[in-house]
Amino acid sequence: MNENMGHILTVLIFLPLAGAIVLAFFPGNDAGVRRIALGLTAATFLFSIPLLWGFDVSTHEMQFVERVPWIPSFHIEYAVGVDGISLLFVLLTTLLAPICVLASWISVTARVKEFMIALLVMEAAMIGVFVSLDFVLFYVFWEAMLIPMYLIIGVWGGPNRIYAAIKFFLYTLAGSLLLLVAILVLYFAGGRTFDILHLMGQPYPATVQFWIFWAFFLAFAIKVPMFPFHTWLPDAHVEAPTAGSVILASILLKMGGYGFLRFCLPMVPQASRSFTKFILVLSVIAILYGAYMALAQTDLKKLIAYSSVSHMGFVTLGIFVLNAQGIEGALLQMVNHGITTGALFLLVGMIYDRTHSRQITDYGGIARPMPRYGAMLVIFALSSLGLPGMNSFAGEFLVLLGTFMTHAGLAVLATLGVILAAVYLLWMVQRILFGPITTSDNARLTDLGMREMAILVPLVLLVFGIGFYPDPLLSLMHASVDHLLAQVNAAAPLQLSEVWVRP
Amino acid sequence: MPFTFTMTPADVELLMPEILMTGLLSVILFLDFLFPRIEKTTLAWLSIAGMGGIFVLLADYFIEDRHGTLFREMYIVDPMAIFFKAFILGTTILVFLASMDYLKKVPVFRGEYYFLGLLAALGMMLMASVNDLLSMFITLEFSTFSFYILVAYLRDDAQSNEAGLKYFILGVFAAGLLAFGISLLYGETGSILFTDFAKMHAHLTPGLIIGFLLIFVALGFKVGAVPFHAWVPDIYQGAPTPVTAFLSIAPKAATFAILLRIFMATVGDIKGDWVWLVVGISAISMTYGNIVAIAQKNIKRLLAYSGIAQIGNVLIGLAAASKMGGDSVLFYFLTYLFANVGAFAVVIIFSNLTNSDALEDYDGLSRRSPLLAFALLIFFLSLAGVPPLAGFIGKLYVFAAAMNEGLVALVVIGGINIVISMYYYLVVIKRVYINMPKENTPIPVSFPMRLVLFTTVGGVLFLGIYPKAFIEISVAATNLFGRMI
Repeated sequence: MNENMGHILTVLIFLPLAGAIVLAFFPGNDAGVRRIALGLTAATFLFSIPLLWGFDVSTHEMQFVERVPWIPSFHIEYAVGVDGISLLFVLLTTLLAPICVLASWISVTARVKEFMIALLVMEAAMIGVFVSLDFVLFYVFWEAMLIPMYLIIGVWGGPNRIYAAIKFFLYTLAGSLLLLVAILVLYFAGGRTFDILHLMGQPYPATVQFWIFWAFFLAFAIKVPMFPFHTWLPDAHVEAPTAGSVILASILLKMGGYGFLRFCLPMVPQASRSFTKFILVLSVIAILYGAYMALAQTDLKKLIAYSSVSHMGFVTLGIFVLNAQGIEGALLQMVNHGITTGALFLLVGMIYDRTHSRQITDYGGIARPMPRYGAMLVIFALSSLGLPGMNSFAGEFLVLLGTFMTHAGLAVLATLGVILAAVYLLWMVQRILFGPITTSDNARLTDLGMREMAILVPLVLLVFGIGFYPDPLLSLMHASVDHLLAQVNAAAPLQLSEVWVRP
Repeated sequence: MPFTFTMTPADVELLMPEILMTGLLSVILFLDFLFPRIEKTTLAWLSIAGMGGIFVLLADYFIEDRHGTLFREMYIVDPMAIFFKAFILGTTILVFLASMDYLKKVPVFRGEYYFLGLLAALGMMLMASVNDLLSMFITLEFSTFSFYILVAYLRDDAQSNEAGLKYFILGVFAAGLLAFGISLLYGETGSILFTDFAKMHAHLTPGLIIGFLLIFVALGFKVGAVPFHAWVPDIYQGAPTPVTAFLSIAPKAATFAILLRIFMATVGDIKGDWVWLVVGISAISMTYGNIVAIAQKNIKRLLAYSGIAQIGNVLIGLAAASKMGGDSVLFYFLTYLFANVGAFAVVIIFSNLTNSDALEDYDGLSRRSPLLAFALLIFFLSLAGVPPLAGFIGKLYVFAAAMNEGLVALVVIGGINIVISMYYYLVVIKRVYINMPKENTPIPVSFPMRLVLFTTVGGVLFLGIYPKAFIEISVAATNLFGRMI
């Protein structure tokens, strides 16, 4: 099937990494650096497209697998592969990387080379996270993302960037160290292997399952972020440069959801099933609380950050209702959130480049001088609030459908979140785009240029494409999601009484 | 019993690295005396070349798997001893390379510096082969004596003198405890050989317990584990920085050779009785070292406290008290060697130009020297245990060894400590990369210093990305480790 593309995943990881190293020794000026970075990320994207053609939708097995021993004495392998759960995230990453480079074209002027190196290292690590089939390899990529992200926020961020960067770093690190402990426990409990596929479906003792579940939960819940672990997110978003916000919102947050799907559910299904109620309630709280907080924000980035908390609540809701509709909806919602929220942050960045303000009150009526901008903001705001015919509708609808089948009451509450989303997003659009122009500076704003349109148009196409016809994406997931559900539903929920009995 | 001293040619061969080392340091001393106007850097290069030769010999011994005992089993040569000897030589070579520029600040006795360094290295090589209580005492004091002088080498500098005196007083006190512990053990058992203790499976009497505790305290002092760490920050700060680098790694490694022999080979079969002690010391060292490091304003003191915490990490491997635990200790030291000596090399280069070790002067280092800034970033991230660098594999190794023995709580404490340590490393990284420099003079890096930096950065990256070969060496080193549990 895909014999001739045997090393495609390795190429995807190491092309940006090699590019970063080359760039470090590149003597040219900033313009050259930007072009090289764009070329590298675009090439990575082009190389990732064959994944879509070569992907066999009929199987849940890992595809494009490569295995090379790395540290044989610990049975650690360099093992990569994709299935229906990870494929879309890889493509999302490779698609957004060139967009991030383009978005930083003029807004990053200081230390351009270092910025692009950090972006490329980020891209390599993010792809690595989604394709790793070895737990240590996964952890290496998972942690390796932190340093470039810390630097992206800390060096090129806003005035309060140090606080935000260190908070981001320590929150995420705290979560991931529990993950490391869990990985080691699994290594010994699962027969001395770090092979992710091998560690699934093993009969771990109840106590082990219990603790591993909580370690996983903390690590991934901080990343998602779920209420009440979300406090790092608004800070990080507000201070990060545009590209940093896009990466954070579109890809880093998805790693939490991906972690639940790839590790938490299949490895400790019993414990996961016994705590679904708890997570579902937290998810609904996140949906409502995030939306409620978004209503009160005056800073555009903060508003979108809180809307992310709300939208990611749908993701965890969908994952833990444990049916096909819910999980496929959650996966689709993650992709959609990546596209839509990424675009919203890009739009905030574009207006910020012109006025250096993110305060909603500084704007008003700018649809008149900037009609193209107005159109784009309306499109993505409508997409974000889940207007039928646009991408988010499909995902949220599936999640709500899945929830309704098992927990009708929670579904009703979650639907309130959709209504609140309409309120805060439309209200934001109205305050920014319409009404009288308040300052003479705003009247003279220039509309979006070629570069900016080139960034946004592909995303607009995806918004409508997925909105009208999500089936191709869903068909990529079916086999893997069905297999996952079979794994989870075969397990009986853990009885807490088992946990405390000494073996 | 009449004393007879016999040495067969085979014995001489086993002792050859030390004999050559003695020859080398005599040559250096004579050259320095006979030709007073000889370039001191020539002496340094000569020493380095000589040690390089001995290093190759040791590597050959390791590959050929030479082993045996000398002097009625008082002295043992086995792969682990050879591993530590080579480790100490490697450290000494790096420290000598890093000393050349620094010594230009020292007005007199620059030649003797190298002689004393070689003497300390010889003492530590002997420590790696210790197999009884007496040779433990003698070799330990032998190596420490050179350090007393080296620490106080900047004789016009009050801090250096104070550090030397402090180190001397506390060191002598620890030696007293050690001697007392030895006398108690001898009194209880009638033997001084580790091998004999292992055969006895002795019932623990109060005398034995106190004796072992005293020895443990003295060795704990040498490695700077909490609560025997009080000397570490002052002496690290006061000593000439290359000596600090030397002190921060080589004696600790040599002491761990002894600790491994005592705890694992000698009293390994009663590990239930002592593991809790090592677990406790390990947990306290990590936590105390990391928390106090946060408040430091001087980079040498910061590295001192981070060193205390690192020793806590190594002790996790000892607490595992298994073959895997022993391997992990050896491997951890390798990762620590590169990251720690590298970090001190950056400190040396920086202070050569600025005469300052204050953290605030590191502001904006990345604009003054991208090479130094990048190297420091790599070293600190490795010390913190961020993948894919050496320190990550080292921590993974000790954690795995402990987890295998069911010490989950210790692993969790170790994990929490990574987060704490990350904070102060990040604060320094922030200064280096994000803050604006107060002055913009570029920082020159001389050839020997470049050699040190490239070796250490290379080591940190290589051990992190492809640790296979070195893990195999660590595993092989403890293979013949006698009565390992």
